[in-house]
Amino acid sequence: MATSSRQIDSQTTRAATGVPGLWWKSATVIIIAYVIYGAFFIAGGAVNFAGNGNIGRIIFFHVPVAVLSSVVYFVGAVYAFHYLTRHPDMETDAKSAAAMELGFMFCILATVTGSVFAAAQWGSYWNWDPRETSIVIMLLLYAAYLLLRGATGEDPVRRARLSAVYALVALVPGLFLIWVMPRLPALQSLHPPDTIIRMDRTSGTYKMVLYPSFLGFTMLFIWLFQMRLRCYHLCARRSREL
Amino acid sequence: MSRPGWAADAFALLEKDFRAELRTRVAMSAVGVFAFAALLLIALAMATLKDARSAPLLKLPDPVSLDLLSRLSHPAWDPISKLGLLWVLLCFSAFAGLSHSFLHEEESGTTTALRLTMRSGSVFAGKYLFNLILLVLVALIITPVYMVLTGMESGSPLVFLCVMVCGCVGLSAVATIVAALAAKAHSSGALYGAIGLPLLVVFLLMLLNAGSALYAPEPGLIATVRAVGGLLSYGILILAVSALTFQFVWEE
Repeated sequence: MATSSRQIDSQTTRAATGVPGLWWKSATVIIIAYVIYGAFFIAGGAVNFAGNGNIGRIIFFHVPVAVLSSVVYFVGAVYAFHYLTRHPDMETDAKSAAAMELGFMFCILATVTGSVFAAAQWGSYWNWDPRETSIVIMLLLYAAYLLLRGATGEDPVRRARLSAVYALVALVPGLFLIWVMPRLPALQSLHPPDTIIRMDRTSGTYKMVLYPSFLGFTMLFIWLFQMRLRCYHLCARRSREL
Repeated sequence: MSRPGWAADAFALLEKDFRAELRTRVAMSAVGVFAFAALLLIALAMATLKDARSAPLLKLPDPVSLDLLSRLSHPAWDPISKLGLLWVLLCFSAFAGLSHSFLHEEESGTTTALRLTMRSGSVFAGKYLFNLILLVLVALIITPVYMVLTGMESGSPLVFLCVMVCGCVGLSAVATIVAALAAKAHSSGALYGAIGLPLLVVFLLMLLNAGSALYAPEPGLIATVRAVGGLLSYGILILAVSALTFQFVWEE
C-alpha cells in the first residue's frame, strides 16, 4: 500500500510540473475538428442511405465510438488481469476502473448515435439487430462492473479484487458478443459486415474522413483516460490528507 | 497426517452443503417455490392469450376455423421462444435460490474455517457441484411440467438433453461465481441479480441459437454440433474463468 501511495504521489507531481503530451493533445483537437468538418464538407452523401445519403454522415462518429466501446473493455480487462497476477496496486486498479468508466461512456454514445441512425435509415429506433443487442449487453456489462465497484464498500483492496475478477469473468460474454454472436447463422444483421474492412466498399472521400476519425477518437480516449487517472490520484491524495 | 486431496475436500464440502440443505431446505424451497410460481404465471398468461386468440374463431362455422382453432389450442409461439422462456424461468429460479451459497457461510462465520482447511479450488468445486445438482433437480421437475403446459416439443431427445445439460453447466458456473462476488461485497440480493443477469443474456442467446438447430426441420449433424458446441463452449469458458479467478475472491 505504501508503494502504491508513493507511485501515486510521484505521478501527480510529475503531471503538475509541466504540460506533458502537449503535441499529441493538440493533434487530437485538430484531428477531431477535421473529422467534424470532413463529415459535413469533405465526404459526400452515402449511396443507398436515407435523406440523400446525409444520414450516413453519423457513421464517422458512430462506428469509431462503437469499436472503441468494445476495445476499451479489453483494455480494462488487461489491467484487471495485471492487477490480479502481477501488479496488485491501486494504480493498476485505477487504470482498469478508468478504462471501464470511459468504455461505459463510449457505449452510451454508440447506442444513442446508433438509435438515431436506425430511426432514420430503418424506420425504428430499435430493431433488435444482433449488433444493437450486442451493444446494449456490453452496456449492461459495464454497468454491472461499475455497480459492483460502488457496492463493495470502503475497503479499496477488496473493491479492486472483486471488480477485477468480475471484469475477467465478463470478458467471456464480451468475446462472444464481438466474435461469435454476429456470425451466428440464426441471427441476421441489418449492419453490413465488411464495409469498413473492404477497400472497394467506401469512396476515397469517405476514407479520408473515416480513418482519421478512428485515430482521433482513439487519441481522445487516451487523453480522457489520463485525465480520469489524474482524478483518481487527486482523490487518493485528498483521502490521505483528510 | 497428510492433507486430504483436492477432490476429497470438494466432496466433503458438497456433503456438508447437502446436510445443511436437508436440515434447513432454504435453497431448495426458494428455487422450488419461485419456479412453480413463475410457471403458474406463465401458464396463466398463455391461457389468456389462448382465450383471446380463439374467441373470434368460435363464431365461425367454417370447418377451416376448426383447423385454426386446433393450431391455436396452444399459444402461437414457436418452439425456440418456448425454450427461451423455459431457460428464463430456470435462470431466475436459480438466481432466487443459489445466491445464498456463499452468503450463508459469511453469515454463519464458517468462511474462515473453510479458508483455513480447504484450498480455494476445492471450495469452488464443492459449491459449483452443489449448485449444479440443485439446478439439474429443478430442471428435471420443471421441464416436463412446462412442456405439458405449453405444448413445447423436445425435438431430437438426445440434442434436447445435450442442450439442457450444457445449459445447466453454464448457468451453475455463473451462479457460483456471482454468489461469491456478491457475498464478499457484503451486499443484498439485488446486487446478485444486477451483476449476474448481464452475464446470462449472452448465454440465453446461445441457447436460442442451439434451439434453432434443435427445432430445424432437417437439422444437419454439423449444424447441430456447432450450435450445441457454441453453448457448451460458453459454459466451459465461464466455468474455467470462474474457477481460475475464484481464489482472488476467496483468499483475502
